[in-house]
Amino acid sequence: MKAFANQNARSVEEAVTLAQQALQAGQSVSFVGGGTDLLQLMKDRVVNRPGSELPDVLVNLKTVDGLDQVTPTGQGGATIGGMITLDALSQHALVRDQFTVLGEAAESVASPQIRKAGTLAGNVCQRPWCWYFRNGFQCYKAGGDVCYSVRGENQLHAIFGGGPSFIVHPSDLAPALVALDASFRVVGPEGERTMSAADFFVLPRQDAEHENVLGDDEVLASVELPAPAAGMRSAFHKAMDREAWTHALASAAVVLDMDGGVVRSARIVLGGVAPIPWRVPEAEALLAGNRVTPELARAVGVAALAGARAMSKNAYKIPLAREVVEQTVLTLATSA
Amino acid sequence: MTPQEAQGLVGPLNTVGHNVPRIDAYERVTGKATYTSDVRLPGMLYARVLRSPHPHARIRSIDVSRAEALAGVRAVVTHDTHQTIYSSGSIAGGRQYSDAAKDITQHVRYMFDNPVRYVGQPVAAVAAVDRHVAEEALALIDIDWEELPFVIDVEEALEAGAPKIWPEGNLGLDFRNEPRPMTRSVGDIDAGFRDADRVFEDRYTTAFVQDAQMEPRSALAEWHGDKVTIHTPTQGISNCRHDNARDLGLEDHQVRIICKYMGGGFGDKNGSYYFDLIAAALAKEADAPVLLELTRKDDWLGTHGRWHTVQDFKVGVKQDGTLTAIQQTGYSGMGPYLRRSGGISGIEVYACPNSERVIYPVHTNRMVSGNFRAPSDPQGYFSMQSMMDDIAYELGMDPVDFTKKNMLRPTADVRFTNYTMDECIDRGVELFDWQSRRRTEPGSDAGPIKRGAGFSFMMFRSGVGPSSAIVRVDSEERYTLFVGVTDIGPGAKTTMALIAAEELGVPLSQVEVVWGDTDRCPYSVGESGSRTTTHTGYAVVQAAKDLKAQIAESGMPGRGEVLIASATPTPSTQGARRMCFGAHFVETEVNVRSGHVRITKYVAVHESGRILNPLPARDQIRGAALQGVGQALHEDLLYDPRNGHPLNAGYYGARHLTHLDAPEIEVTFIQTDDGFGPYGAKTVGEAGIILGPAAVANAIYNAIGVRMKDLPITRSRILEALS
Repeated sequence: MKAFANQNARSVEEAVTLAQQALQAGQSVSFVGGGTDLLQLMKDRVVNRPGSELPDVLVNLKTVDGLDQVTPTGQGGATIGGMITLDALSQHALVRDQFTVLGEAAESVASPQIRKAGTLAGNVCQRPWCWYFRNGFQCYKAGGDVCYSVRGENQLHAIFGGGPSFIVHPSDLAPALVALDASFRVVGPEGERTMSAADFFVLPRQDAEHENVLGDDEVLASVELPAPAAGMRSAFHKAMDREAWTHALASAAVVLDMDGGVVRSARIVLGGVAPIPWRVPEAEALLAGNRVTPELARAVGVAALAGARAMSKNAYKIPLAREVVEQTVLTLATSA
Repeated sequence: MTPQEAQGLVGPLNTVGHNVPRIDAYERVTGKATYTSDVRLPGMLYARVLRSPHPHARIRSIDVSRAEALAGVRAVVTHDTHQTIYSSGSIAGGRQYSDAAKDITQHVRYMFDNPVRYVGQPVAAVAAVDRHVAEEALALIDIDWEELPFVIDVEEALEAGAPKIWPEGNLGLDFRNEPRPMTRSVGDIDAGFRDADRVFEDRYTTAFVQDAQMEPRSALAEWHGDKVTIHTPTQGISNCRHDNARDLGLEDHQVRIICKYMGGGFGDKNGSYYFDLIAAALAKEADAPVLLELTRKDDWLGTHGRWHTVQDFKVGVKQDGTLTAIQQTGYSGMGPYLRRSGGISGIEVYACPNSERVIYPVHTNRMVSGNFRAPSDPQGYFSMQSMMDDIAYELGMDPVDFTKKNMLRPTADVRFTNYTMDECIDRGVELFDWQSRRRTEPGSDAGPIKRGAGFSFMMFRSGVGPSSAIVRVDSEERYTLFVGVTDIGPGAKTTMALIAAEELGVPLSQVEVVWGDTDRCPYSVGESGSRTTTHTGYAVVQAAKDLKAQIAESGMPGRGEVLIASATPTPSTQGARRMCFGAHFVETEVNVRSGHVRITKYVAVHESGRILNPLPARDQIRGAALQGVGQALHEDLLYDPRNGHPLNAGYYGARHLTHLDAPEIEVTFIQTDDGFGPYGAKTVGEAGIILGPAAVANAIYNAIGVRMKDLPITRSRILEALS
């Protein structure tokens, strides 16, 4: 494994400064949280940042004080530090109670060992798990100009939003955060900026190399969740090809704002099917103002997948994602 | 004679037959056990291997000057510096223990080959002061490659005009060095089809499956003058020594193999590996001990796994379910070297009078295939018994009845040492409640979540044969047993001690075992072919008998004296087949809308003779059955056909079972003593893996009413089949 320097940051601002200094000195740099994925990428000699080298410097965000906390906001929302572990997030009482979809998504990630180390920011910002990218192919995601899945093995690839790269976004938390309409606080050399979760992620047709708007010297510091409406309930469901330690073949993060038995509004975001968390407004619209019946849930599933386009080997994802949406909506709306 | 004994059924003896924890369990679970990569020697260096990024390519030139110049690098070896033959890596006819076969093998495999023939093939290695320097040095080796055409698909590989991996083409050579399929023919196949009322034809495929043992392979080599000591996780120290001596140009006594603990065998480690040779070469060059470790990815792609297969069937049957003809054509993907046979079994367990099997072992530019726990069996049984299950339902028969009508039984010509196939099936039918779990009409459950039941049966050779043991007693009545076994998981060390204690009539605590070191132990056949207990265990019985006789004659040794006995028996069953028997019954629940499969019941019934230690024996069946479930539902190794690269190496990508995926395996042994082996013990280790794929696939068919013909049966395939 290539030798690197570890630099412990004490604040997000210091982390940014350390990264900038390294970049200015001509070094390659990566921020590191739990390191569960970054370490393997480095061992496999897969470059984390396209157009860059294997990192010379790791800027450690775990040493930043207070970046692993869930802090209630005055209005009933919450701010969650990027360095909270997935395990802590999944077990946090406020998260489980008020933002269930996020807790369930965190609990579905990988394995207990990885959840104990992996972080919210790391999960949201992880690189694609496309087997071409992970095996060192010079694809779009590695700074190249081809997506090998198009004429190759695309069983796990996108049915929405693909082109020119057809990766699927690997994060389980990302759909949940978009469904909760979270805001992301990004800190960089110019200070901080805040954007909606949906605006954080970028499609390959906007930027084929990156999955989000972060610059090389920017950090996802925290996420803010708006206060839930009184009748809000939410859930996350993930279909995998084994029971643990793998990414979603298809997942659904569903947030329903309920008035008694009637849905006021809904947010449905799919994972595992597109290069970004994929919101399905047509399906959401079917729910607004209606009571959820098995027939309506089925129609919602159908609407959610209406725009899907299969590649040569991933047509199964369409009925699978449809079923995941239908069951998640039905169970959530009809549970006590 | 008790009624049980009259049926050949047996129970525990004094020491044998009781649940005994492994005698080295505490060392293992407390981290005190020294595995190969735990060994530390003064001045030891660490080595890493550079591997081919191309499926087929010639090295025009290789420049190691930048690697050699890196601080901390002590030795670099390549094809240019070492043309060492790796003789156990490519053996005509699968005769891995035959020097004669190795001598004539035309497709010679080298420690570093040029051209390279698969992604992951070793091309160079570096020894350095630490692991990181060794890894960085690999990145500084410059190679000028000439890429060659490659082929990944077994049928394409046999087409005229396919890229040739060897000058003769891509069909494997038999033991006469001739490209020829393996054939087996019984009766008159044409007459069999003429006699048939109905003829069924189908194609089945099975995927490559990695052995995926927990311990990544490693080798530590150290020279003392012209003698080399190699610590390596081998399943057979004796064969490993001989292979390495042969390839290093040494006599056997100049090689010492040590394997005290290993993290899983699962096949094809009863011999040397190229990394033993590389470690020895680097240690000689650097004049220091060298520990060569394979990374997980190196281990996955640079070793071997079960050959993937394509199998075509044509089966003739009478309307009453009597088989009249079985024709099977198989293609086994062997990678570029014929390390093992490529066999596909399963036809042998039917008494069909007319059958014909033709198997083509095919070279491709995939990674090398080799022996994985019951090498020829799970892929063959899956296909054959899916086919038969299908036919049974087509004829409106219960698959159990169909099986009993057609399975091989003892005859005047086909003698068995004992035969319990009926008992195994009957016990399984009862324990599993086959009649109520099976759907007479497959796929008939209402609703999206459907249940169904499937079964499969097997007979697996449990031969007897030569091995050696030495037992010694001193004046303090301490018994020391010298056996050349390694412990690959089943607890061989404990088993050998149990057998010695039983035969000597002393407590287990009075027996110490010396194992896993060729300088201290006699020859052993090695832990492959499920032979350790039956072969070496029997030698222990004979050596102990001899020692008892000596003690009876001359009394216990006096102070400072010892008595020693050794035995190298060569038992024989005089032509009778000695088999173990088994039947697995599986219930699955399939959600036809999400493709999700859950195993809701798994009953495994086995007759493996007398069970010497039920605790690990049960675990052997459980572990093996779970590997069968993994092969049935999850595991594969995908290659991109356009660039010849493997895409999903490793536990994550190949989707091996996690704890949450593992169903409870209910194990039952029918215990017998046929008079052979130690106290009637037969094989256990490989038997449990054979039946999972067939039983699971048949249960899925019974649940959904659609036959899944390709392994693994993933949820994507189920959804596609149902769409």
